[in-house]
Amino acid sequence: MPGRQLIMNFEVTPTSHTLEAYRARGGYATLEKALTTMQPVDITKEVTASGLLGHGGAAFPVGRKWAVMKPGSDETHYLCANADEGEPGTFKDRWILENAPHLLVESMLIASYALGVRNAFVYIRGEFDLPYRRIQGAIDEAYAAGLLGAKLHGTPFELDIVVYRGAGSYVCGEASGLITSIEGRKPYPRNRPPRLTVRGLYQKPTVINNVESLANITGIVRMGAEEFRKVGTAKSPGTQLISISGHIAKPGVYEVEYGYPWARFLDEDCGGMLHGAKMKCIVPGGISTKVLTRAEIEPLMLSHESVNPAGSGLGSGGMIVIAEGTCMVRLLQVLLRFYHHESCGQCTPCREGMGWMHRIIDRIVAGQGVPEDIDRLYAISEANDGTTICGMGDAAGYATVGILNKFRDEFEYFIANKRSKCDGRLECLA
Amino acid sequence: MPRLTIDGREIEAPAGQTVMDAARAAGIFIPYFCWHPQLSVPGNCRICVVGVEDKGGEWIDIACNMPVSEGMVVHTNSEGVRQRRKDTLQFITLNHPVDCGICDKAGECTLQDYHYEYNGERSLSRDAKNHETKHHALSPRIVLDNERCIQCTRCVRFTREVSKSNGLGMQNRADHSLVRAVEDGSFANDPYSDNVIDLCPVGALLSPSFLHKARVWYLKPTASVCPGCARGCTVNLWHRRPEWRLRAPDMRAQNESIDRVTPLENPAVNGPWICNKGRDLAKLLGRARAEGAMLKGRAAELQGAIAMARSLIAAARKPVALVSSWGSNEELAAFRAAFGERLDARVKADHAPEPGEVVEDAILIRADKNPNTAGAKAIFGDAPPDIPKDADLVLVWGEGLDFNRIPAGAKIVYLNAWLQPENGHADVFIPISIQTERSGHYTNFAGVTSAFAKCFPKPAQAADAETLFASLALAPGGGP
Repeated sequence: MPGRQLIMNFEVTPTSHTLEAYRARGGYATLEKALTTMQPVDITKEVTASGLLGHGGAAFPVGRKWAVMKPGSDETHYLCANADEGEPGTFKDRWILENAPHLLVESMLIASYALGVRNAFVYIRGEFDLPYRRIQGAIDEAYAAGLLGAKLHGTPFELDIVVYRGAGSYVCGEASGLITSIEGRKPYPRNRPPRLTVRGLYQKPTVINNVESLANITGIVRMGAEEFRKVGTAKSPGTQLISISGHIAKPGVYEVEYGYPWARFLDEDCGGMLHGAKMKCIVPGGISTKVLTRAEIEPLMLSHESVNPAGSGLGSGGMIVIAEGTCMVRLLQVLLRFYHHESCGQCTPCREGMGWMHRIIDRIVAGQGVPEDIDRLYAISEANDGTTICGMGDAAGYATVGILNKFRDEFEYFIANKRSKCDGRLECLA
Repeated sequence: MPRLTIDGREIEAPAGQTVMDAARAAGIFIPYFCWHPQLSVPGNCRICVVGVEDKGGEWIDIACNMPVSEGMVVHTNSEGVRQRRKDTLQFITLNHPVDCGICDKAGECTLQDYHYEYNGERSLSRDAKNHETKHHALSPRIVLDNERCIQCTRCVRFTREVSKSNGLGMQNRADHSLVRAVEDGSFANDPYSDNVIDLCPVGALLSPSFLHKARVWYLKPTASVCPGCARGCTVNLWHRRPEWRLRAPDMRAQNESIDRVTPLENPAVNGPWICNKGRDLAKLLGRARAEGAMLKGRAAELQGAIAMARSLIAAARKPVALVSSWGSNEELAAFRAAFGERLDARVKADHAPEPGEVVEDAILIRADKNPNTAGAKAIFGDAPPDIPKDADLVLVWGEGLDFNRIPAGAKIVYLNAWLQPENGHADVFIPISIQTERSGHYTNFAGVTSAFAKCFPKPAQAADAETLFASLALAPGGGP
């Protein structure tokens, strides 16, 4: 395994997700420690000091989000775990929900204590079946064991967690779309300001954290921020769960300590390319991050400060490895079909722009492209950048521009010759 | 209060106000589709972008959701802003059919105006547009052209925030989004549904009664007051411009008809809304008119009928008058001036709620279905419209009285505009003008007085009520 493990640090067995097994690993001891020895503000301080970065994709410091909340005030506060893991290529929260659901429950208890939350939610995507049964099972076990819905360790603190199953939309993973969905409405993202930590779920201050971000809370409180910072790098403390798929020998979920060499991770830990193929490029963190070529990742470490200057990002940790011979035009077609399908249709640039880009790429693949189409795709991406309510419009633009910048010749070839430059060259699947 | 600069002008705006509101208060125009002063801010059309100076550069965001802050420098027409607007208009017209030639909104369409003002370029797309339903009935009163819809959600928000019927919602996603009525029929029962036609910034929401009836530039609005209830909403009555009147011989009905009714914004009375009854004023005011004066049901000359009425009134020992709550303040004052205390005058309700009509609600609609009850009662007092048993003459002004309530033997002088069976039962019947044929004022239930103006000439056979009263009150030999 690449580096130290904070989350995937136990052996997965058919019963390792149960309360009994979790307790045997020392589970819920940290909760007791937090409730009996720490004040809520101490926990927030500890999380801020740990430098934990959000694992949903934007790498926003968790402590900075939490610090906005005023746990002592009379106002109701909400906590919501974002388990709507919808970014294509990403399936790491699923691992936590399936194998360590009690880690999430304990972390949510600690976080709720820190944030003054009485009711917390887990928003889980509708397609997740086993993860849903596992997290709901863990919550049921916690209720039965008196961990939820009851005053704990002699404190007035108690918490209820409700699991809310989404109906399957990419935009529900966007924090404000997610809470709108919980409120029972169409998940249109909301304009900022106000930020969700000021007016969120039911117009109350709400913290929405990714499942993996929350799962780290227990570890941080258990070992202390200082110990936590010893894992990873100075600017990217801790670990990241990487879900890797595509033309790779050993796809799956890996916990990677920040600062681990990227090339070594691919070649050694993931067993190299599928059937020894040559790597063309890699999607580093969900399809909304810009693709990088093998040469570009060669000197990079798996940390935000190493990948960001290369013009991309680790995002949600959803890596997709793409072998030489893959047609990037068709790949972009798949991406744009996805973005078009998933645009919520609320704001103009994304609603119309996604459909427009999809139609252009469909026409190119159908052999009816014209040279100006490439510029048009750039222009639409540019017009979507920063003009939409949520980040999805930007994301589609980044993905498109990332591919066009690096593989423009393939698009020009396709338009000029009405066929792919890569037809018949994808050999690794043979 | 934060001070900020918009387009080089320094203005002061209350903290918490948006740049959009601050700019409007200062008279600086920022274009918008989805924003509306009376509705929540969805920020979805993205046309109201402005640039804010920031560290030598500029960040661009929507003005409708941008709070003002101290020292901020806003540009509404910078290079970047102009480009963003062009981009947005390209997006909005991407699937818009641009069928202005057959669109009722053409001539007053925000999208048309903005296109010429801020874009002016043909579409950059070479692909086919999405096709959707062109004629979808949201309710019997509203049809929706889905191709023209730009999904600003003003109509949806209106039903949620103003009319509270929650009758509309958005269906599907991306560029297949559609505005649809919810299935329980609450939109069809929304008495304010027609406001969405005015709210629509493009020609997507249309009224079947006005559909393809006239190009708006052939019409002109005349300020008026809705007589449908005691609220007295100010409205615009749209009718054919005199200079565009149709000259064929049988076109009088078209030249002198109310083609549509829109609200005339008035914060003191109705804000920017009116109810559906007000939209249907053409029906209320377009009913069949009384054809001429009558004496005991037989046609007579107008002057002869007036003379007869005058002598009957002069001869009466105990004359009683029931005055109309549809009379204007001017007419009511003329009545009082002409007859003084000689007639025992009482205010009657010309109209009662129709079966199925919304009687009263908390938004606009009032239970009293007459426009000027308050104005009439201010002059004639609050006495109930009973007729004393010993009355020997009853002067009835306006419709809506059951003639069986008039004591047998009493003479009846009836002034009414409409063709109704009672007309023939009166001893003297005199047709009078209606609201659209004269100017005047109504006073609503809250004491607010609003003016209405004349739209059409009075038919030759009808008398003008305001001047009629003076001639009715003259003594038979001349002189009062």
